[in-house]
Amino acid sequence: MSNSTPFQFPPTYSFPPFFTPQPNSTTRLSQLQKWSLLIQSWCRHHRTYRLSLIEAIESPLFHNSTLRKRIPLSEARNILDWMAESEEKGGGGRRAEWVDGTNKTIAWVWWRRPEEWAGILADWVENTGQKNVVLTVYELVEGEATMSQEWHGMDVDVMMKSLNVLVKRGKAQVFGSEGQEGVKFF
Amino acid sequence: MGNTNSSHKISAQDRAILDLKIQRDKLRQYRKRITDLTDRETEIAKECLARDDRKRALLALRRKKYQESLLIKSEKELDQLEQLINQVEFSLVQKDVLFGLQQGTQVLQAINKEMGGIEGVEKLMGETEEARAYQEEISQMLSGNLSNQDEDEVEDELAALQRETQRLQNLPHAPKSKLPERSNEGESQEIQYQGGKAKAQPAIPA
Repeated sequence: MSNSTPFQFPPTYSFPPFFTPQPNSTTRLSQLQKWSLLIQSWCRHHRTYRLSLIEAIESPLFHNSTLRKRIPLSEARNILDWMAESEEKGGGGRRAEWVDGTNKTIAWVWWRRPEEWAGILADWVENTGQKNVVLTVYELVEGEATMSQEWHGMDVDVMMKSLNVLVKRGKAQVFGSEGQEGVKFF
Repeated sequence: MGNTNSSHKISAQDRAILDLKIQRDKLRQYRKRITDLTDRETEIAKECLARDDRKRALLALRRKKYQESLLIKSEKELDQLEQLINQVEFSLVQKDVLFGLQQGTQVLQAINKEMGGIEGVEKLMGETEEARAYQEEISQMLSGNLSNQDEDEVEDELAALQRETQRLQNLPHAPKSKLPERSNEGESQEIQYQGGKAKAQPAIPA
């Protein structure tokens, strides 16, 4: 689960035109889709929830040192903008979201959206018989009981977003003071 | 949201449990920090020894020892805290069980009351017995009323039915051998057909 094995780049990563914005709209769309998938699996592999573009453009994700090709910051923004757009509007289906609004330097990368995490959490609670049990958010993220779960060590903000999805569905209640939240599942 | 959550209220107990669990989390974090520190002290001691600085190395090891004692103390506290949490949670479960038992008993009592007590049941059972005996008497009288002639007719009908079923089972077999010439075939069919008719005839008058 951790990044003990090196990340396997897809074949397109070794294809130089992949790093240049394609003029043909069909090719461009396919290019954006492939970038979206690559960014998602990269973040999943490294358990990254918020992607800092300044750091990312220097990392192997956007900088292919063997090809000596790189994605500049502006193009990275375009890709993430496309990922953030919903599918109905011709985007990548809300697989990203800017953390800092119009600054566009840090983005959530939703390799699992909060709604998807919410489903996984609800299943886990159901399967481990922890309905009506009070849990701290800390133990959900860092506790020994969740060590084997995919969300272990998750960004607390993402956890709160996911829990809030469950709250809206009436399946959980978050309470307690900030930074010391607890959650009760129903 | 408001409607669905109205039954999911956070009680004072929930808040108390959360406080306990947060204390537990804090203790865990503290232990993590101390463990990290002890590891570092060991490193420092090693480095000092490499520089041949025995005094500093000893100091580092003493600090490490002290931190380890803290670790053991905190472990006990953590244990107590977790026990308390488990007890509280278990008591909550027990409370629910007790509530369930109470409700079950109430329902059972209400049902018993509806049945009108043991006397009522006994009376009802007696009446049922009486009605059953009466019914039996009636059927006996009815069956006794059948005349001998009627009985014979019933017997005959049964025999006819039995013959009927037997005849169905005794249907001729389909020929297994190669079919004979055309002219022969017609004849044998006629014979078989007649045989079937002859058997069927005695059944008709019955």
